Amino acid sequence: MSVASAIKTGDAAELPGKRDEDWRWTDLRGLIRQVPPDSAPAAAVGAGPFDGAAEEIVVIANGEGAAHIGVDPHGDRTVALRIVSRGDGSHAARVSIDVEADGRLTLLESYEGEGSYLSQTGLVFSLGVGAQVERVVLAADDAEGVTVSEAEVQLAAEASFGQTVITGGARRQRLQTTVRHPGGHANLRLDGVYLLADKRHADLTTVVTHEGLDGVTEQLAKGVVRDQARGVFQGRIVVAEGADRTDARMGHHALILSDRAEVDARPELEIYADDVSCAHGNTVGRLDEDALFYARQRGMPDDVARALLTEAFVGEVVERIGHEPARDIAAAWVAERLRGG
Amino acid sequence: MAAVKQTVEHVASLEKYKHGFVTDIDQEFAPKGLNADIVRFISAKKDEPEWMLQWRLEAFERWLALEEPDWAKVSFPRIDYQDSYYYAAPKTKEGPKSLDEVDPDLLETYKKLGIPLKEQEVLAGVQGAPRYAVDAVFDSVSVVTTFKKELAQAGVIFCPMSEAIREHGDLVRRYLGSVVPVSDNYFACLNSAVFSDGSFVYVPPGVRCPMELSTYFRINAENSGQFERTLIIADAGAYVSYLEGCTAPMRDENQLHAAVVELVALDDAEIKYSTVQNWYPGDPETGKGGIYNFVTKRADCRGDRSKVSWTQVETGSSITWKYPSCVLRGNESSGEFYSIAITNGRQQADTGTKMIHLGANTRSRIISKGISAGKSSNTYRGLVSAHPKARGARNFTQCDSLLIGKHCAAHTVPYIEARNGQAVFEHEATTTRLSEDQLFYAMQRGLSQEEAVQLLVNGFVKDVLQELPMEFAVEAQKLVAISLEGSVG
Repeated sequence: MSVASAIKTGDAAELPGKRDEDWRWTDLRGLIRQVPPDSAPAAAVGAGPFDGAAEEIVVIANGEGAAHIGVDPHGDRTVALRIVSRGDGSHAARVSIDVEADGRLTLLESYEGEGSYLSQTGLVFSLGVGAQVERVVLAADDAEGVTVSEAEVQLAAEASFGQTVITGGARRQRLQTTVRHPGGHANLRLDGVYLLADKRHADLTTVVTHEGLDGVTEQLAKGVVRDQARGVFQGRIVVAEGADRTDARMGHHALILSDRAEVDARPELEIYADDVSCAHGNTVGRLDEDALFYARQRGMPDDVARALLTEAFVGEVVERIGHEPARDIAAAWVAERLRGG
Repeated sequence: MAAVKQTVEHVASLEKYKHGFVTDIDQEFAPKGLNADIVRFISAKKDEPEWMLQWRLEAFERWLALEEPDWAKVSFPRIDYQDSYYYAAPKTKEGPKSLDEVDPDLLETYKKLGIPLKEQEVLAGVQGAPRYAVDAVFDSVSVVTTFKKELAQAGVIFCPMSEAIREHGDLVRRYLGSVVPVSDNYFACLNSAVFSDGSFVYVPPGVRCPMELSTYFRINAENSGQFERTLIIADAGAYVSYLEGCTAPMRDENQLHAAVVELVALDDAEIKYSTVQNWYPGDPETGKGGIYNFVTKRADCRGDRSKVSWTQVETGSSITWKYPSCVLRGNESSGEFYSIAITNGRQQADTGTKMIHLGANTRSRIISKGISAGKSSNTYRGLVSAHPKARGARNFTQCDSLLIGKHCAAHTVPYIEARNGQAVFEHEATTTRLSEDQLFYAMQRGLSQEEAVQLLVNGFVKDVLQELPMEFAVEAQKLVAISLEGSVG
């Protein structure tokens, strides 16, 4: 049972729903009574947000397009991957990304949607020994669209994977990353930002499994929700027996800026080894009244003060993006969203 | 430090589970198995009114339609509900009014339990004994209730549930099942159908209960599941502190314990509920023979400014599956949950709390300390939720896990649901092992490894221990030590 198979078979009963523990806050079965018909090929797709920052651009429109990105040993590529959805149909795509030993890849991934589509994308990352990947995801879906992105990442020894997902949500949206560290000394950063307004929904779900020695995971997710939006964060860190000296830290912090918005979080630790250091922190609240008071006292209008504080709150995550042009693009996109709201 | 030393000495003197013994008292059993007739039998045995029987039968009907849940991180062989006895009563004379009438074996049992309360004296009727009210539950029937008169003077009703059903029917009828509905969950529903006995407490408006109420539960009869039902009502402005402690004898067959505890706090009322649980955890190598502890505990802070505080020290049982919860319905009501859960050997614990914020300006605080050793598994599972009307709701949660040994597991599964912009929730959790540096330091000062571990563990759980009433804190500290025995070195 999965979204991909529901799209393939057209059977809505295959969609995950409330009764599936991992989907309780992202109910697709209750939302989609009938799987939309297959999408027609998309016409013009226009320009993507990362066009200027990448050396190559790969486009997957309505499920059609290249399905493999490879980096040779010691190679270095910066690729923009555009996942475009147009119209009211349903489509699924699968992309495999192989980075061989000591290769480097900067993947600037964007979700660009227009219409009330149902889109599923499966990405499979495989990192060789010492490979380094930075993945920056900008999800700009339609308010009527439903998007599910499922990435599976496998890290060899000494590989490092850094990720920042930034999303404005959709009618229902799930951006999921599953990482396995079977090799020792692997390094992982999994960041996320969700900025939601109106009735939008976004779900950032991550599952990290440490199976080797000396693995490091660092995770920081932040969210801002207003109106009747709903943000979901589910993070699970599993440390398998024998994965000693694992160091895993997870933080999720959300601001609720209206009375009817909602944030649901489940930061989980599942530990089967004793020589570990794991922690998670989770806060949900509103803007700091003291900081607002201070700003007001300095003569700053209330709305400017709120925008500034919110931007600073989210900025902490955006600043952790390593690729400079991508960071600038992401920061501009975040600023526009916050001010627009 | 004295307490720590005492703990260490205590551990040294212990070689095995000291409460593993069986008292031989003639039991009066209901036939094995479960059907509507057994439910009728239990009800008839207890001389219950018709409405109670109907309530039980209805629960039984619903139970038949429910499925046993399997979402907890625990595993155990399927329970055969037809292979258990649902009623066992020690044969005593009707309504013993004085201790002389009580079976001496029974008193011997209390003695062996080493009931630390001076309740031994109390039970023996010694002059000038401290004032604790003990409602001792021996298997299914409450045998001795002391200080009832004194409590009655204050207007407090503290009696076995079976008596409350007969004598305070209106109160029971009004509140029973109002916090934990009959079909709330599989085990609560089973309990509703076959509950044997338990405690009933009613504290009238404005009364501060003059003594700590306590009850000791024992599971004794072989193969007899025990299904207590406890109901505590603190009327407007009342205060009551209730202590529950448990031990059980060593047995080879798993015993099911599915209790239901309901607390109701009306306006400005406060209830403090403390539990120390050290039931037989099963064989450390195979896990065989331990108690299954599947309990539903819930408090309804129904009134404005009401407060409920749960404190638990869970060291026993082969499987613990319980989530003492607070429904914060009244405005400005507050809930607290302090927990120490220790697992060793093959024990499995899946425990935590739920704080449901419904009223405005409600507050809750959760401090959970989990310790896993041996081949055990320890899960904190919690829910904190704020509904749209719970403006100004606040929660602080801290759950820390400590791992001792390579083969144990510790999990943290918190659910946080914030549905309004005026709620502030904070949660933090850590999982670590005992610090090598601290151990080294302590051992360098001349402590043995085991002593050093005790010292560090006692420090780790201190935040919770200090929430316990004095008489429980000492016992609990000893329990922590006993439970971790043999986990290092």
